[in-house]
Amino acid sequence: MLEFLIQNNIVCHAVEAMLFASIACAILGVIITQIHISSIGFTMAHAAFAGAAVGMFLSVNAMVTAIIAGVCVAFLIGPLSDKARVSPDTALGLLFGISMAVAIFFIAYMQTLGRGFSAMGLLFGDVISLYREEIYLLALISVVAVVFVVVLYKEITGIIFNKKIAESVGIQVKPVYYAMLFVIALTVALCLPIIGGLLLYVWLVTPAAIALQFCYRLSAMFVAAPLVAAAISVSGALAGLEYSLPVAPLTAVMFSVVFIIAVLLSPKRRVTFRKS
Amino acid sequence: MPMNHGGPIIEIMGVYTAYEGADRPTLQDVSLTVRRGEYVVIGGPNGAGKTTLLETINGMLPITHGDAVVCGHNVRGDGCRVRCRVGYLLQNFSFDPLTPFTVGEVVMMGRFGKIGLFRKPGLEDHEAVARALSLLGIRDLASRPIGQLSGGQQQKVLLAQNLARNPEILLLDEPFSNLDMFARESINALLSRLVSEGVTVVIVSHAFDDLPDRPVRVVVMQEGRIVLDRECAPGLVEQVIRSTGGSAANA
Repeated sequence: MLEFLIQNNIVCHAVEAMLFASIACAILGVIITQIHISSIGFTMAHAAFAGAAVGMFLSVNAMVTAIIAGVCVAFLIGPLSDKARVSPDTALGLLFGISMAVAIFFIAYMQTLGRGFSAMGLLFGDVISLYREEIYLLALISVVAVVFVVVLYKEITGIIFNKKIAESVGIQVKPVYYAMLFVIALTVALCLPIIGGLLLYVWLVTPAAIALQFCYRLSAMFVAAPLVAAAISVSGALAGLEYSLPVAPLTAVMFSVVFIIAVLLSPKRRVTFRKS
Repeated sequence: MPMNHGGPIIEIMGVYTAYEGADRPTLQDVSLTVRRGEYVVIGGPNGAGKTTLLETINGMLPITHGDAVVCGHNVRGDGCRVRCRVGYLLQNFSFDPLTPFTVGEVVMMGRFGKIGLFRKPGLEDHEAVARALSLLGIRDLASRPIGQLSGGQQQKVLLAQNLARNPEILLLDEPFSNLDMFARESINALLSRLVSEGVTVVIVSHAFDDLPDRPVRVVVMQEGRIVLDRECAPGLVEQVIRSTGGSAANA
């Protein structure tokens, strides 16, 4: 897609992957940070891990079972949180524990059967060795994330502001809330095997946290977070490949540095200091 | 002075409301009919079920027995439609200073249910928001982040959010908390005006000095039941509530 700008195929694929995945994750990251479910990244990673373990045990495609497990967990987060009367974060913690238990059970069982296990690779994708189909999938995911937020913008902002107030003004909170959790979890489940856990966790939280330092409006955060994420991610990919440095850790460090600078420069914090 | 009102707008018939896991219903066999344009004050001790009654009227809590019809819709199956026509000011809200919403955006949220799914706010919605901000005297705050306002200003913003959808009924849970005396007077005058225009006001309040200068209907609740329901002069509300045995201070 960006071949007209970048001649080298490997660099081009890496930049495209970083661009699409960072946009999708950063947009959804605004929702994640505002409704306090940052642990969704860990939970989905371990759901995929459990799915991969089951896939290996059943001798079917581990990537497919990893995604299926992720989708199943995505379906469960909302209803589990409601039915068990626990916060979404607690529901994520419960599902994390269950996923971990399933994964460890099958790994241990396969070891007793004398079968090796190498599903760990699923959790640590590599942005410099992606197939074209995987780039297309990431592009599709980013389009779905953007369309989802644009189409349900009113409802999403209402729920982020306050679920009870959103319900009182006539928003159909439950279906929109479940859809929000599902799209977030599905995005994480699909991006994880391609991009890997490290960048995913960074993208889900840091761009939104950087945007929050400067934005007084949620609408501005939805624009600023993906722009910041895309700029840093593409810079990280280009710098990493140019100087033969590991792309994902380099990009993660760049995000952390930008976050620290953002906190220091934030006008919101300056106001607080003046008051006290 | 007898009050003249329109037809029934809230009809609650033998309603029981229970929270999940509770060993008994919070509302028990509650029946209440409120007519269009009435001003109803709900009193009673803490835990009497006043807030539960408000949330039952606008369909936010499940009714286990009985029926409730509000604005012509059965609350059981049509709660969302009811909430599009009923304003509900929740009790004791405050927002974090970093909350990324401006006053204008928060007030616009009051229109979201009316606007409906997949639609964007139009001219009519923006006009309604501007009108609501003007009514509360906070139009100059429209672009300010809500988290940077005082508690009283935030309370006004939430009231404006409810007024923005031109409600037929206003359910107000402690609307005068956090407000200074000038704000209480101006909101009291506003509520009186709304009632004279046909809006029904159902209010849970401690502040009996801030009632309109006209007869009001007092409904007193105890242990999830209505124990008194009568009209009286605004100056007598506290006395009427005390006569039921519940402390007015706990109302």
